[in-house]
Amino acid sequence: MIAGWRLPLRIARRDALRAKGRSILMLVMIALPVMGVTAADVLIQTQDVSSVESLDRRLGTEAAAKVSYGGERVGRQEQGLDPDSGASGGDVGSMPPPTLATVLAALGGERRGIEVGGSYLSVKTDKGSVEAGGTEVDLEDPLARGLFRLEDGRWPRNADEVVVNAALAQRGPGLGERIRFKIDKSLGGSGTEVERVVVGIAESASVKDWGQVAGPRGSVPLPVRPDASERYWLIGGGPVTWDDVLKLNALGALVVSRSVISDPSPAALAADRALTGESGIDDATVTVAILVVVMALIEVVLLAGPAFAVGARRQARPLALIAASGGTPQQARRVVLATGLVIGTAGAIGGVVLGIAGAAALNPILQRSNGSWFGPFEVPWPHLLGVALFGLISALVAAVVPAWIASRQDVVAVLAGRRGDRRPSARSPFIGVALVGAGIALAALGAGQRQTTSASFIALSAICCVLGMLFLVPVVVVGFARLGRRLPLALRFAVRDAARHRTRTTPAVAAVAATVMGVIAFGIGTSSDEARNEATYVPSLPMGSASVGADDGSGDPVAWGPYVDAVAAELPDARIDQVRGIPYVGPGGISTSIGFTGPDDTPLLSSFSSNLGSGVYVYDGDLPEFIAAIDGFDAAAAEKTLAAGGAVVFADDDRPVRAVDITVESYDQNGMTDEETTAGEKNVPAIAFDLRGRAPGTGIIPRAMAKRLGLGVTTVGLVVNGATISKAQQKDIDERLNSLSPSGFLYVERGYQTPPDIWLVQLVLGGLGAILMLGGTLTATFLALSDARPDLATLSAVGAAPRVRRGVAAAYALAVGGIGALLGVVIGFVPGIAVTYPLTSQGWQTCSAQSCFSSSDFQPDHYLAVPWLLIGGVVVLLPLLCAAIVWVFARSRLPLVARLS
Amino acid sequence: MSVKMGLLALLADGPQYGYQLRAEFEGRTGSTWPLNVGQVYTTLARLERDHLVEPAGSEEGRVLYRITDAGQDEVAAWFLTPVIRTQPARDELAIKLAFAVTVSGVDVGAVIQRQRTATMAALQDYTRLKRQDHDLAWTLVLDAMVFQTEAEIRWLDHCEARLRRAATERRVVATPAEDTADKETSR
Amino acid sequence: MTTILKLDAVSRVHGEGATEVTALNAVTFTASAGELVAVMGPSGSGKSTLLTLAGGLDSPSSGTVLVEGADLATLGNQGRARLRRTAIGYVFQDFNLIPALTAAENVSLPLELDGVGVAKARAAALVALGQVGIPDLADRFPDEMSGGQQQRVAIARAVVGDRRLILADEPTGALDTETGEDILRLLRLRCDEGAAGVLVTHEPRHAAWADRVVFLRDGVVVDESGGTSVDALLDADRV
Repeated sequence: MIAGWRLPLRIARRDALRAKGRSILMLVMIALPVMGVTAADVLIQTQDVSSVESLDRRLGTEAAAKVSYGGERVGRQEQGLDPDSGASGGDVGSMPPPTLATVLAALGGERRGIEVGGSYLSVKTDKGSVEAGGTEVDLEDPLARGLFRLEDGRWPRNADEVVVNAALAQRGPGLGERIRFKIDKSLGGSGTEVERVVVGIAESASVKDWGQVAGPRGSVPLPVRPDASERYWLIGGGPVTWDDVLKLNALGALVVSRSVISDPSPAALAADRALTGESGIDDATVTVAILVVVMALIEVVLLAGPAFAVGARRQARPLALIAASGGTPQQARRVVLATGLVIGTAGAIGGVVLGIAGAAALNPILQRSNGSWFGPFEVPWPHLLGVALFGLISALVAAVVPAWIASRQDVVAVLAGRRGDRRPSARSPFIGVALVGAGIALAALGAGQRQTTSASFIALSAICCVLGMLFLVPVVVVGFARLGRRLPLALRFAVRDAARHRTRTTPAVAAVAATVMGVIAFGIGTSSDEARNEATYVPSLPMGSASVGADDGSGDPVAWGPYVDAVAAELPDARIDQVRGIPYVGPGGISTSIGFTGPDDTPLLSSFSSNLGSGVYVYDGDLPEFIAAIDGFDAAAAEKTLAAGGAVVFADDDRPVRAVDITVESYDQNGMTDEETTAGEKNVPAIAFDLRGRAPGTGIIPRAMAKRLGLGVTTVGLVVNGATISKAQQKDIDERLNSLSPSGFLYVERGYQTPPDIWLVQLVLGGLGAILMLGGTLTATFLALSDARPDLATLSAVGAAPRVRRGVAAAYALAVGGIGALLGVVIGFVPGIAVTYPLTSQGWQTCSAQSCFSSSDFQPDHYLAVPWLLIGGVVVLLPLLCAAIVWVFARSRLPLVARLS
Repeated sequence: MSVKMGLLALLADGPQYGYQLRAEFEGRTGSTWPLNVGQVYTTLARLERDHLVEPAGSEEGRVLYRITDAGQDEVAAWFLTPVIRTQPARDELAIKLAFAVTVSGVDVGAVIQRQRTATMAALQDYTRLKRQDHDLAWTLVLDAMVFQTEAEIRWLDHCEARLRRAATERRVVATPAEDTADKETSR
Repeated sequence: MTTILKLDAVSRVHGEGATEVTALNAVTFTASAGELVAVMGPSGSGKSTLLTLAGGLDSPSSGTVLVEGADLATLGNQGRARLRRTAIGYVFQDFNLIPALTAAENVSLPLELDGVGVAKARAAALVALGQVGIPDLADRFPDEMSGGQQQRVAIARAVVGDRRLILADEPTGALDTETGEDILRLLRLRCDEGAAGVLVTHEPRHAAWADRVVFLRDGVVVDESGGTSVDALLDADRV
């Protein structure tokens, strides 16, 4: 077995060393993906902070455990190894919460603990205010060591001094300056502002880009509302065991123990498993993952294929000699396969080593631009073994077809020096068509499935299509060669040569086609998704209008004057209307919901969208302009009804409504009771409008009716009309509003906005396609050029100018890129269209039968948008770009003498 | 021998008289083998004596000859018998060169080159003749000349190469110490 | 007679130092219009080097190569390439047809490279293929033809578009004597029509088709009619 491989391996190794250029090309093709995946894996593993790695961040470097609790009354807790990844039970209970004393007593022995308090602060900055985390802890206590790292200045010594991190110092007060902050009432604080001196810059162990303020007891305010406070204790002393954890759990506390997490006992592990359960990965995910790996394998194999094909052909003569001197086809096959083995092994090992080195080099750069601290540098060897195996397998697979061809070569023809491939099999186009057909069938099947299963169907369809395409490529290339008669010399030469050397051309064209196919499929998917988003977008205001809301959910009355001033200051010409309505939460925290039901006792409207603090507006003699402007709303009829004391309601359909029942339910959201008060009126004369999904609320009622129902009418928001609001103005107004109240915000209706990441995705797709296409065409082109040396020498001998070589090279790139792109686009439509079904029909299955029926009148349940721009770029521009790059980089010197005899 | 058989072969096609036979003979051999009329008539007389041909009347005072049955048999046997190289023809050139290498004071190289130039000129002459269109028989005879001449040039080339090698060997023998020393150091 | 090709004291040295090999040593050589000159010599005598220098595929270490009075050294790569597609025709031993192109396309190659339109180039190619006697094979690919047919295509390519200098490197080497003779007849014909031909061969029989035969030994012309003696050659060896 081994003996049979010794000779092939020796020949392969020598050959690889002799043909250095081609070997390097093959190595790069194999090593690059291995390297990329390795680097990504190492970086991800490094960035990912596991429970063990996070211990120093959460406990500092000294403390043995962190003990915390929640709520005013607690019950027995149940937790896993790490309470942050799994705990259940008693935030609500009957016991008083534990204290440091009870915790220490339960643990026993000589232990010490310190209290740490956390809060969310609103810090005054030069422009307004920003949110920041606050930590109240004795920073110089040994147990707190490691929580913060002093970068500049000194630790605080009294309650007037704090340290901040660099992220906050950049935006707000810096070292030596005074800093003012408070805890907003909505966050459970007192709302009183305190002023401190920044005496140091210190980095938190866990947070990087979010502002942090830390100081000793009394320096940083803590929430006054008990449920909003976050307090915990850091416990010193020896290891806190699992038994200790259980004891503290009984007291209602949760424990992050250093020793339990880093070295769990079997009992602890069992408890953890019982609580969190097996982390189940469903079959569909596994299937898709396998298919993705297979796709990647195909792509890598196709990209490396031409190099192996040419390598095998270079070996044709030695192989023929082996055959002539009694070698079997199997031995010939092994020689070529051994090349795959040698290159694959070298590429896999090299790729992994370079990947790790690359990750090590990239890590500090990424850390600088990342918002959180990375974990320690980590090399996931088991993963990398798999990745290396992937590289080896891809090299072996890439060598299989050339090996098979090499073992079947015509010995006499090779020894006689005849070049060119065998005639293509007459069967291959049929196999190709059958496979593509299977791909289409699978795609159709996948399109009709639910989302989870359709992904695997469509991925399988894509693989079928790619494999089918492999069989069709030779036919298409030969077809182009037939059409080549009238082409200019360089192109004619290129397509004919491509058709003659199919073992080299086919994988290159297929690699390009597979890449393009992926790009097209993803492109169609994203743009169709985008089309659906755009079509189903519901504007909440007329175009160009804006609204100001300030609902913080507390029900406290808002003084709108400053808000009006804030908007008017930036937009002096705008009309600012106060919109009156029934707030969701009224004074005293009374939450109110108002329902309108039609004749058959069903709610008239299923959903609406509004940025104002109300769903029911109040008519006070004039209709809000933003409602009157909605298509389908008859302002005159509505006003007539409202003036007559009736109600205007919004409905999902245009069944005529003459009267509605109104029900009002209200309850005190601060109260401990679930008591509800209900009121209502039956048979209120009403007029209904179907606004086709653009309903701004559920209805409009006259002031008199609100009074009758006992509803408090307030201004629920502002609507700004008659001004064009630029993005910069919007930002300025937002900042002004934000300083009035954290919940104050401006909404500007600009219609559907394409999220910038859609463009980014298309750009990345195009870029990735370009890189892969370039890789495919470049290797194929330069291999073709080295293959065509004798032909180029002949061209030179009959008087070809030196630039002809460039022309031929560029034409070759154009042919490979162009044919590949064309095929890829055509085939790419199969999974592309299929993927739009699960992608754009989601969500509609969840609506009720009735509303689905009615909404399907105007909203199709499937969207298809073809990104023609992307396709045009891929089919026309990319091949031209490849050709141009080849033209620039190809040596323009022709080989002059073909042989030196 | 060959003139006899050649005339007999020509008569196998039909009765002819002397002048006719001479023209035919020269036509087929491309004037590479000139004959005089006397030779023709002597040969015919000898053939008649051996009962291989017989007179067949006369025309304008010239005797017409016809092949006999015995003559037919003789021609058939001739065609079927391979030409046997029993002893090499005396080759003046070979003998000349053999003397040239043994007799001192002769520039053998010059002898070879002068001969080669001359032989090449002859070869060019034959080739020039070939370029005109002729009948098959003539072309075959010409080809025989061409190949024989070519063989001579090749042989001259070979002689030259042998001569040069001999000269080199002589020189090596003349300076043996130097040479072995070189080999030693290079080892 | 106008001189088409002139090599004046041309030397060509390959390699450097210990591996230095003198392929041609101060060779002077001419070929005139209407003349076919044969260059003979054993392998390694510099025959092929002489031809590559004459075709501008290689540059001499010293001396000048003149084609129709133009010094190849002053022409540059582009100029030499233009000369090859307009004035010089090459015929190789192994035919060197481009397998991806048909016979007609192979023949019209120099014309197309010179910017002649496809249709016009094809017409010229068909004429040339007619001259070499295979007008009906125009649309065959090289691997669909016999060796003799391929070499006829190669000769058609060398003569297409009125080239004045034909350089043939063992054009009959891969052919049987009969087919080889046909090829030589074609070459001879072209020269009789006014072209200058240089035929490199090691077969005296083929060289005999030439008007003049030049003998090369170790990069030196030893014999054109007389010339250097063998002893002089031995002296040259010693240097």
